[in-house]
Amino acid sequence: MVDPRKKYLLLADEDLISLVAGERDAEAFAALYDRHGRAAYSLSYRMMGEKQAAEDLVQDAFLKVWRGAGSYRTERGSVRTWILSIVHNRGIDQLRSTASRRRTQDRVEASAPTSQPSEAFAEAWRNSQREQVRAALGTLPKEQLKILELAYFSGYTHVEISELLDLPLGTVKGRMRLGLKKIRDYFDSQDVAVPR
Amino acid sequence: MDHARFDELKDAYVLGALPERERRELEEYLAAHPERQAEIEELSSVASLLALSPPEQPPPPELRRNIMSVVASEAQRPPTRTWLSGITELLSVKNLALGAAAVLVIGLFVWNLLLQEQVQDLQGEVASLQDSQESRMVALAGTGAAQQAQVEVMIVEDHKPVLMAEDMPRVPENKTYQIWVIEGDVPQPSGLFEPDADTVAVVVKKPLDKGDVIAITIEPDGGSKQPTTDPMLTAKL
Repeated sequence: MVDPRKKYLLLADEDLISLVAGERDAEAFAALYDRHGRAAYSLSYRMMGEKQAAEDLVQDAFLKVWRGAGSYRTERGSVRTWILSIVHNRGIDQLRSTASRRRTQDRVEASAPTSQPSEAFAEAWRNSQREQVRAALGTLPKEQLKILELAYFSGYTHVEISELLDLPLGTVKGRMRLGLKKIRDYFDSQDVAVPR
Repeated sequence: MDHARFDELKDAYVLGALPERERRELEEYLAAHPERQAEIEELSSVASLLALSPPEQPPPPELRRNIMSVVASEAQRPPTRTWLSGITELLSVKNLALGAAAVLVIGLFVWNLLLQEQVQDLQGEVASLQDSQESRMVALAGTGAAQQAQVEVMIVEDHKPVLMAEDMPRVPENKTYQIWVIEGDVPQPSGLFEPDADTVAVVVKKPLDKGDVIAITIEPDGGSKQPTTDPMLTAKL
C-alpha cells in the first residue's frame, strides 16, 4: 500500500498551500515545512544571530503561514518567496523592537574590514537558483553588499546605516540603488529572469 | 512626496530600510499612483533574493516537532481567527434561535400538549434556519501598497456581508477607503472605512450575489458616487 504521505512529495507548493488553506491539511503543511524550513531557518539565523531567537522567529512565521495560507497569491511570487518574506518582515519587526545583541555586534563588524563577497558566500548552495544569487551578489563591491546586508538582515534604516558607517545619507541611498541594480543587471546579462 | 522623492526612497523601501514616517509617506504616494507599483514589485523581487544568500543552517528537529504539535492541535478545530471569532459569534443568531425554540417548546408542552404539532413546525423552521446559516469567506486580492493586506468578506445568508481587513496601508490625509459592490458594470457605493487599527471590520451595505465583484478604492473623505481611483483590492464572487 502506498504511504499517503508520499502524495505530498509530488505536489507543487501552490497545491500544498491551497490544501492548507482549504482543508487545513496538516500533512500538506508539514511537506511545505520540509521543503522550506531550512531556507527559513538559515535566513532567520542570519538575522537573529543566535539559535533560540532564530527558532522562535521560524516558529512564529510558519504558524502565520499555517493560519494565513488563504492570503497567499500566486501573482505575488513563489510560495518560497512568500514564506521567506514573512520570516524577513517579522524578523525586522523583532530587531527593531529590541536592542538586540546582534545589532550591537554589527556596530563592531561595521567598523572592521569587510570580508570579500566571495568568502562571505563560500557555502555550498542547495540549488542552481541559490548559485545564481550567490554569483549575482559576488559581483557587488563589498561596500554595496555591506549596506544591503545591514538593511536587509539587521533591520537598520538608511539613516542608521549612514550614522553607523559614518557616511552621508545620499551615499547610503546611492549604494543601495547601485547594489540592487547590479543584482538585476547580473540576471539580465545571463539572460535569466530574476527568480520570484 | 513627488516623483523624484519616490525615486530617491524606493530602493530603501524594498529593503525594509525606511524609517516609519518615510515608509508611510511612500505607501501613501504609491496608493495615489498605482502606476508606479510595477517598479516596486520588480525591485522587491530583486531585494528578496537576499533571503537566499545566507549560509545554510539545518533547523533543529525539535523546531519541526514544536511547530507541528501546534498545527496538529489547531487542525482538529474549525478555522478561526481571533478577530473573526467575535464577529462570527455576533452573527450566530442560529444559536439564539435554537435556544429560543427550546424554551418555547418547554413552555408549550407545559401549557398545552395540544400545541405539540405547532412546536414541531417551529422546530422545523429552526432546522431550516440552521441549514440556511451557511457562511463563506472570500479573500480579496490586493495590488500596490495593499499587497500585504489580508482582506476577506464574510457572507452569511440573510445577513449583510462583513468585510474584515488586516494590515491595510494608511490612507492619505482627507482620503478614505470606499467599498464597492459591482453588479454587471455598475459600481454601487457600499461603505467607507479607515484602518485606524491593525484590524478593521465593516458591514458591506449592499448584498453580494454570485457574479458580483467587490472592490476597494481610495476616495476623498465622505466617499464618492463613482470610483475615482483604480481598485486596490478586488474579488469576484
